[in-house]
Amino acid sequence: MNKNRQKSRSKHAAFAQNDLLGGKNPSRTFISNLSKLPYQPLSTIKRYLLAVLLTLIGTGLGYLIELKISPTNLVMIYILVVMITAVYLGKGPSILVSILGVLLLDFLFIPPYYTFAVEDTEYLITFAGLLLVGLVISALATTARQQAEEAKARETDTLMLYSLSQDLSTAVDGQSVAKIVFRHLPAAYGTKFTLYVPENGILKLYTSVGSEQDIPLSERNLANWCYKFAKPAGLGINILPSLEPRFLPLLSAGKNFGVLSLTPIDPTQPLPANMDRMLKAFIYQISIALERVQLLEQNRQIELLQVTEKLQNALLNSISHELRTPLVTITGTLTTLENQGDELDSAIANSLISTAREEADHLNQLVSNLLDMSRVEAGTLKVKHDPTDILDMVGFALNSMGSRLGTHKITVNVPDGIIVSMDYVLIVHVLTNLLDNAIKYSPEGSQIKISAVQMGSVVHIEVIDQGQGIPNEDLEKVFEKFYRVQLFRHLSGTGLGLAICKGIVEAHAGKIWAENHPDGGTTFIFELPLK
Amino acid sequence: MDDERPIRRFLSAALGTNYQVFEASNGEEAIAAIPAFRPDLIILDIGLPDISGVEVTRHLREWISTPIIIISVREQESEKIDALDAGADDYLTKPFGAGELMARIRVALRHTIQPELMSFIKFEHLEIDLVNRLVNFDHQAIQLTPTEYDLLKLFVQHAGKVLTHRQLLATVWGPGYEDDRHILQVNISNLRHKIEIDPTRPTIIVTEPGVGYRLRIP
Repeated sequence: MNKNRQKSRSKHAAFAQNDLLGGKNPSRTFISNLSKLPYQPLSTIKRYLLAVLLTLIGTGLGYLIELKISPTNLVMIYILVVMITAVYLGKGPSILVSILGVLLLDFLFIPPYYTFAVEDTEYLITFAGLLLVGLVISALATTARQQAEEAKARETDTLMLYSLSQDLSTAVDGQSVAKIVFRHLPAAYGTKFTLYVPENGILKLYTSVGSEQDIPLSERNLANWCYKFAKPAGLGINILPSLEPRFLPLLSAGKNFGVLSLTPIDPTQPLPANMDRMLKAFIYQISIALERVQLLEQNRQIELLQVTEKLQNALLNSISHELRTPLVTITGTLTTLENQGDELDSAIANSLISTAREEADHLNQLVSNLLDMSRVEAGTLKVKHDPTDILDMVGFALNSMGSRLGTHKITVNVPDGIIVSMDYVLIVHVLTNLLDNAIKYSPEGSQIKISAVQMGSVVHIEVIDQGQGIPNEDLEKVFEKFYRVQLFRHLSGTGLGLAICKGIVEAHAGKIWAENHPDGGTTFIFELPLK
Repeated sequence: MDDERPIRRFLSAALGTNYQVFEASNGEEAIAAIPAFRPDLIILDIGLPDISGVEVTRHLREWISTPIIIISVREQESEKIDALDAGADDYLTKPFGAGELMARIRVALRHTIQPELMSFIKFEHLEIDLVNRLVNFDHQAIQLTPTEYDLLKLFVQHAGKVLTHRQLLATVWGPGYEDDRHILQVNISNLRHKIEIDPTRPTIIVTEPGVGYRLRIP
């Protein structure tokens, strides 16, 4: 294991060295992945050989035209070769060409021929001129090329940062930030990246290689330390330098938004200055993205809180109104009887009392609904499964409603002997709730049908009214807590009844839904499994 | 006995004109007072602060057979059934009216005052004569299976009182059948078809949801 690691590290080192041979410019390592400069694939020896070849070609050319022009003008050919070499092959080869040029000019074209001796000393000035011009050109051309190269590298860096920040702006959580970062961080910076993001008070980690579970505890601990103290740590840094990866805090505006850990390719060498600069820029971008994600999450929480608060206010308003209305009647009746009980006509007194009694029943029903709702919400609704005859249950529900049925014509179409395993009390509650609704939202004297059909392993129980129906877009929403159909706002109600029905039916592993009829009226259907 | 003062006051006021009332606010106090006061009937709130109503019922049934009427709220479904199975005679669910309470008390007292079981009962359309094993629907004798007859007999003997599913099953079908609710359902349904005018809206054998059935007193 240890050996393997050693091996892979020396491989990385070799790779880095190879790259350095390509040129002295430190940014080459990094650019090598991205841009192709003209001489890039050539090794040093090849470049020098090519320079010699170019010089020889120039010399050949000079030889051909030697008779027609003066030797001094042949210098131009060598200057041209020096220039081409400087631009395309670099500084060393162009210096070589300058020297070679002087020597060849002297040897081949200046009398006496084929010796380095010079007859006319004026030619020494020509040689000095050629050498000087050659050196200056190679220096200038090399600087120009280096600048172009750097500009290109900067452009690539900028582009990379730009595409990173653009992608990061779409991230909505720690995980998506991590995904984008791992996609964008160049492999030259490390072999393995891990992003630690605080979520609900603990650091959640995402890693670019392998599984999150494989990150050893020692690394997690150091990441925690790094997050807590907002200081870099680990490999090559004076805090715990022996621990393998390098941990970098993700700081923005003095706040720490997480930790990035990476394992450098060559841990023995510090990053070159320009790569280090680039890494800092990357880290800054990641910090900003994480800050944004955190703000987003905070906003979401606040919004949620506001919605809940609004809902609770609506609930309190609606509940207190609903509770107070019957209390007004009851208190009114009692005080009337208290103050003028003896003087009251007995018929009036009786009607007052029976109204108060009805309101007390209503109040009881409301409190039961609230209790049921809270039990549905808390998931503490206990379903007692007992075999129950549907016909018995329907009959009981109708009997228990008594005078609430009013003038509506109730027809029952329930076959004998459908026995369903269910909680009698709770399902009666569902049915009476549906019947109460049918009565409330359909005209007096209209028909309400109750039917039950066994369909395979389930039973459908339907309550069909002849009311004005529910707007189609509200058919599902009516089962939501506190939802009231806008059309019926003038009728009192808490918007709890159907939500409770849904809770009870679902606790029986059943379903409940509503349908409108083409010719008016609504059907509420609930489906229960037989067993 | 009830731990809520307003409820005790309401009960005392409602009962005071016809009965002599002793109030207790918890189980211990009530049990301690029973030998001296010797009540004819006990009204017991199932949610007492010290001992559960079920425990009080079990304890009392060890040494007295005084009728016990349980008062409970809807959320105490299972305790209520346990208390009935432990020997309580009837129950009322809060909130209840004074009329309902009086009716339950009268039924419970009648069963203690006349220990010999009821043998004849007459509704508008139905006569049941246990002595001669006769059931007439609109003066026409109707045929019942032996099980249906046994069931009906049990109801008549305890007319007006609630009978739990377990009590019905244990008495009519015998031990081992206490939990066979299906068979009870089927027989009740068949019986209703024979004796009710409208079996979809029964008025003679009425359902006590989750608890059992009761034969309505004409």
